[in-house]
Amino acid sequence: MPAEDMGKLAYRTRLAFAVCSVIFVAVLAISPFKDYRREWKQYKRAYLRFAQSRPDTKRLTADYNPGIDQIWLPGLNVTDRCPTCHQGITQPTLADASVPQPFRTHPPIPHNVRDWGCTACHRGQGPATEVAEAHESTLAWEQPVLPTHFIQASCGTCHLADLPQTPQLTRGRQLLATLNCQGCHKLPGIERPAMLGPDLSSVGTKVSREWIYKWLKEPRTLLDKDGNVTVNGYLTGEEPRMPKFRLSETELIALSAYLSAQKAKALPAYKISPAVVATWSKNPELASQGELRFRQMFCSTCHSLAVTRAGETKLIGGDIGPELTKVGSKVNPDWLIAWLRDPESYLPHTRMPRYGWSDEDLYKVTQYITTKLVDTDLLSTVPKLDAPTDEQVQLGRRIFLEKGCASCHVIEGLNPQKDFGPDLSALGAKNASELEFGASRIPRNLVSYIQAKLQDPVSVNAAARMPQYNWNQADLDAVTTALLSMKGAPATSALQNLVVPRKQFAFRPTGAFAAVYERYKCYTCHTFNGVGGDLAPDLSYEGSRANRQWLVEFLKSPQTLRPTLILRMPQLNMSDKDAATLADYLSMVMQHPAVNPATMDAKQFTPAMASLGKQLYEVKYQCQSCHTIGGTGGYVGPNLNNAGLWLTPAWIQAWLRNPQALVPDTIEPRRNLTDAEINALTAYLLTLRAGIKPQSAANNLASHVVSEGAGQ
Amino acid sequence: MKRLVWLASLTLIGLVSVSGCRKAAEAPKADPLLSAYDSEPDWSDSQKVIPLSYEQAQGKRIFYQHCVWCHADATPAGPSNRSNLTPNPPLMNDGSTLNPESDEFMRNIITLGGSAMGKSAMMPPYGRMLTPGEIASVIAFTRAIAQPPYQPPGRPGSQYSAK
Repeated sequence: MPAEDMGKLAYRTRLAFAVCSVIFVAVLAISPFKDYRREWKQYKRAYLRFAQSRPDTKRLTADYNPGIDQIWLPGLNVTDRCPTCHQGITQPTLADASVPQPFRTHPPIPHNVRDWGCTACHRGQGPATEVAEAHESTLAWEQPVLPTHFIQASCGTCHLADLPQTPQLTRGRQLLATLNCQGCHKLPGIERPAMLGPDLSSVGTKVSREWIYKWLKEPRTLLDKDGNVTVNGYLTGEEPRMPKFRLSETELIALSAYLSAQKAKALPAYKISPAVVATWSKNPELASQGELRFRQMFCSTCHSLAVTRAGETKLIGGDIGPELTKVGSKVNPDWLIAWLRDPESYLPHTRMPRYGWSDEDLYKVTQYITTKLVDTDLLSTVPKLDAPTDEQVQLGRRIFLEKGCASCHVIEGLNPQKDFGPDLSALGAKNASELEFGASRIPRNLVSYIQAKLQDPVSVNAAARMPQYNWNQADLDAVTTALLSMKGAPATSALQNLVVPRKQFAFRPTGAFAAVYERYKCYTCHTFNGVGGDLAPDLSYEGSRANRQWLVEFLKSPQTLRPTLILRMPQLNMSDKDAATLADYLSMVMQHPAVNPATMDAKQFTPAMASLGKQLYEVKYQCQSCHTIGGTGGYVGPNLNNAGLWLTPAWIQAWLRNPQALVPDTIEPRRNLTDAEINALTAYLLTLRAGIKPQSAANNLASHVVSEGAGQ
Repeated sequence: MKRLVWLASLTLIGLVSVSGCRKAAEAPKADPLLSAYDSEPDWSDSQKVIPLSYEQAQGKRIFYQHCVWCHADATPAGPSNRSNLTPNPPLMNDGSTLNPESDEFMRNIITLGGSAMGKSAMMPPYGRMLTPGEIASVIAFTRAIAQPPYQPPGRPGSQYSAK
């Protein structure tokens, strides 16, 4: 190599060496740079900048830690690094909506974040340190964060007892129970009613084969594309209990044949006295008299009818029993008479009471139902069906079992298939890869799957046996929430210990009371020590509240106490003996431990106290804003016209002192009354004795019902 | 040649360092109703739905238990008691009446009742029935449904955004 070239080469080598060194240093720098750029560190720095912009910087940065924050609770299976980015989660001053996420304070729930972690409720991947890995479904982790809209599901995983804070979850559980999902599915913690669908052992004596065909084909009709549910063509907000099965023509013919042949327990026919028939059959008032009795007996408390007012047709009435607008075209008239006289012999576990009927009332009401509540076009779309053949009946029997009808409907001598539908007790913990999405194009996650399956079962599984329900969005979300809450057996014993079980109530009356209680089905509407319906007042403490004589009169002739309610106590035509039995039992047994009417002497209340009480009622506390006396006052509380005969002095006193101690969810405000004020108000209320008016001009009553219906 | 080496090495460095960065993760979908605990239809516009936070949703529950009877025109039982009362209680979404009232005034009138605040005695006190937290949630619900919308009193320095 020439000497003059040596320097050049050395220069080149040095250059190459320098470039290599720069590259080498740069490569070495990548790692710390990458580390510096990590997502969670960016959030850490953003939080510091954010804290600088707040007036309380010192407090916000007091326990700032530049590393990863982790909540580690081995007992709960929780290793949550969420507070690494969600740094303000326990800072009380970062609650308002102007604070940018992820720094906002957690809303004030009853659980402390530090004691419970985050993923126990929100799901997601706790140890992850990247936004996508923590929140979303990845190849290695298939439990994404639960959308807040369904977060109540997480409350329900431990709280099997209903909570007031989680209305959506509670509604979902109620729907699972009322729609009889338990017929086919295992659903832990959902109450199973004594009767799922009606017993069909003798349905052939009740309805025609044509009606069965129509009902199976279209139990309810979807009126429009908005998903409005119609019953017999009338809009309703109610969820139909009988879902729609996708049945072929052959299946419809076979099933209607099989069911119309079911006559195992036919009711003995009842002949209405010919004298009654002779007096009334020619009377042009017959149907309208029947309608009047129908209203006076408050059948509408449980049954609805379509009413057209101002061009708009609506269903008005309760949803405990079936809707009756066209029932006259549905049922056999002889069956109707026998059913009304004794519902329980036809349908065990029915919620319909056994009324005390006179032949006259029975004739009028059944004539009203069979001549006025009819629709001659009801069965016009049904093909002509002849007497069922043996072949059709046999096929129908097989389909009845295969389609799962037998899971909800009892037919004597038929054994339903056990565990017909899948066990759903751990559905809420399923990974998306464990689910069958079929040809559907929905997002591959559990929430979308549950909603698609509920809305249209065949969309995710072409061979699904599950029938079709018509959900409104709120109910769909509620049921989804309830299903998401079912995550199977708790993973650790610490989690097992956290489970709050549903309270079990029992009320098993015996003796004469039990017979009357069963006959009038008091528990359909009233609650007794936690057992029964919630339509009417809880009677657990009725003996402390009401005077026995008032109870007897009320049972004989019920009057509404609350002016705003259209649902009323039915006129059960109770005998004196039955009314006395009920009143005796209620006043002896259904007592509140803290209220003893027997210790109270009503004589201690003087007229002077009463006039002071009137002052307090009208001026100082203005109770008339909610309660009515003598026709003036508010609609919120019960009217007090008859408070003196209705309520016991001991109850009034205890109630004024602390209403919530007697009825925990009552809306009567708890005021700070002195003992003298309580006594004065009690004395005043005891002077109010308007008495229960006998059922006056029936026409007034009927128009009253109609006008109240209009108020709805 | 020299330039080429420089260029090549710079590109290399650039490529290597860029490969170390990762695309920022997309924020989870922001459907306001899916990320809300509950919702309430706008009383004056049935097409609109207002998303509610946990606290506002608890206020909604208490409102529909205790307040709806006199502070709304439709109640779960049908007719409202509002028209029976003189003076007429304000509708709970009446922003023009309630927005100017401070949270403190609202808290006091719910806790102590109307007569304590120089208003109608028909408004009962709820301080012995509802906890301070429950009363705060009712106020939060009122603010959420107000029409015209409620603007909280401004706080300087809160207009910060995370990224």
